[in-house]
Amino acid sequence: MNAAAAMQAPSSRTPSLQARGVSKSFVSGRVHSSVLQDLWLDVHAGELTLISGPSGCGKSTLLAILSGLQPADAGGVLALGHELGGMGMRELENFRLQHTGFVFQGFNLFPALSALEQVELPLTYMGLTKGMARKRAIDSLEEVGLGPRMRLRPAELSGGEKQRVAIARALAKQPELLFADEPTSALDAANGQTIIDILHRIARTHGTTVLCVSHDPRLVGHADRVLAMEDGRILSDHVRPSPSGASEAKEPSA
Amino acid sequence: MVALARKTLIHEWRRFLPAVVAVGFAGLLQLLQAALVLGIFGSASVYITGSSADLWAGYPGTQSVNLGRPISEDVAMRLRMDPDVTRVEPFRWVDADWRGPRDTGGVSVFVSGIDTRPDGMMFSRALPPALRAKLNEPGAVIVDKADIDSLGVNIGDTAAINGQRVRVVGVSSGLRALGGVNIVSSLDTARVLDLDPNDAGMMTYFVAKLRDPSKAKQVAARLTGSNAFGPYTVWTAREFARQSQLYWMLDTGAGAGVLFLAGIVFLVGAVITSQTLIAAVIGSIREYATLNALGVGRGALRKVIMEQAFWVGALGLVCSIVIGIVLLIIARNRSVPMELHPLTAAVCLSLSMALAIVSGLAAMRSLRRADPASLLR
Repeated sequence: MNAAAAMQAPSSRTPSLQARGVSKSFVSGRVHSSVLQDLWLDVHAGELTLISGPSGCGKSTLLAILSGLQPADAGGVLALGHELGGMGMRELENFRLQHTGFVFQGFNLFPALSALEQVELPLTYMGLTKGMARKRAIDSLEEVGLGPRMRLRPAELSGGEKQRVAIARALAKQPELLFADEPTSALDAANGQTIIDILHRIARTHGTTVLCVSHDPRLVGHADRVLAMEDGRILSDHVRPSPSGASEAKEPSA
Repeated sequence: MVALARKTLIHEWRRFLPAVVAVGFAGLLQLLQAALVLGIFGSASVYITGSSADLWAGYPGTQSVNLGRPISEDVAMRLRMDPDVTRVEPFRWVDADWRGPRDTGGVSVFVSGIDTRPDGMMFSRALPPALRAKLNEPGAVIVDKADIDSLGVNIGDTAAINGQRVRVVGVSSGLRALGGVNIVSSLDTARVLDLDPNDAGMMTYFVAKLRDPSKAKQVAARLTGSNAFGPYTVWTAREFARQSQLYWMLDTGAGAGVLFLAGIVFLVGAVITSQTLIAAVIGSIREYATLNALGVGRGALRKVIMEQAFWVGALGLVCSIVIGIVLLIIARNRSVPMELHPLTAAVCLSLSMALAIVSGLAAMRSLRRADPASLLR
């Protein structure tokens, strides 16, 4: 049935991210719990794809597997044409360095660094020159609207601003894949709105594949595609054809 | 490159302070301990290091300069016969009993009978010529300024050594003895004070000067060969000084104590430093995990931790050097025997740096907890 959902996705473009029969289970003590079962999914570039569902439905595990942070027990992940399952730790780190950005629920900023330095830090590890890293960092901070506040440290920034720094940190890498885990759940409505707008704009203007995981119902209206998950399976897959049009629902056959 | 390690160190200095203090104190303790031990045991060989002789001839098997036995005066002849020897001078050591003018009870003293000529080798580095000349008066002695109280005398006072009358004609500095009190006199005075009938016509040591001091080793080996002039051995001054110091260090058990204490200091310092660094790593574990998610490798993150450890070590060393210098100056002004060679100081300081590095390695292990997948739960 999930295979059917994947097949119904727009077929004109090749997906940038694919889950092919991914399964994952955890063992804690003697309890063996299956989190994902034979999950198939295609995610496309230039879209903000939202995976929503109640906590414990396996959406964060799915994100971890799709982003190469965790290996799948069975099945494979094809990201930008690379099979993630076949890569070693260093190879995966390098793949993430070159191609992916992350935004987490906690902002995870170093208290000692200014906003500009937070954004520059990963760039320097990408092998960019000092000047190039600085330019990209400034551009990204301006894109998220923090140009005037880039010299401030996390303690001097509000929650929404901190999350925007975190987004700029991911964005400055110019990633093809951008993963966001509950990016708004620590924020109030207005700030949450700003964040989701920024993520959406990144997908549109940079052609980035933005995959967002959240149980925040406010986000549903802003996503290009909404996948509802429960008990390790995708229950529904809504695709919005145009920014202004109404949601088009595609219910899986089973 | 964003200097993450340094900026974090500065921004969260309160967090890192215990580690810096631990490294600093460990370094300071090692430095002072080494200086004190070298200073105290260095005074065991002050007779050698305070003199300009290149060679020392004494009774075979003598383990420390204070344990000399009489050797025949003929040995001086043997030394003079060597073409490389330019001068030979006798040195008489007398273990004696001191009775001061004040009520100090018996004090055991070591009388050094030396050649009082202005160019004499014995104590040439400790006694200026004017002071040496005062020893020519019969019964004249010089005491160290650090011993004036324990001897209960002042300059000009008279006292008794082995029942013979002596007069204090001056004070020296830097002639503190180990396990007793040093008294310097002329060879003639020392002979009068020496009551042991076995010492008649004998000397404790003969010291010699060489044309070329760099040949000391060869000449010493050459001279030690024969026993035709009675039993004697020839050492180089360096060798004999070292031997005397080692004897005291091992005989008193101080050497083992020093090593034991150094080990404890190292251990305690490493525990405090590593715990502080581990706490710092754990405190930023989510940020490190985020960097790893963004593709910054574990090796690069480990480097940040090691850099932090290095800076903690460097700051600690600066503290110990500054405080150490201040304390050494104070000690010198109060004639506390302390001595620090650059090499010893370097060893102590590198031990402290090693402590910081070891702690960094321990803290690096806690980076394993920086699992980016854990940020998603």
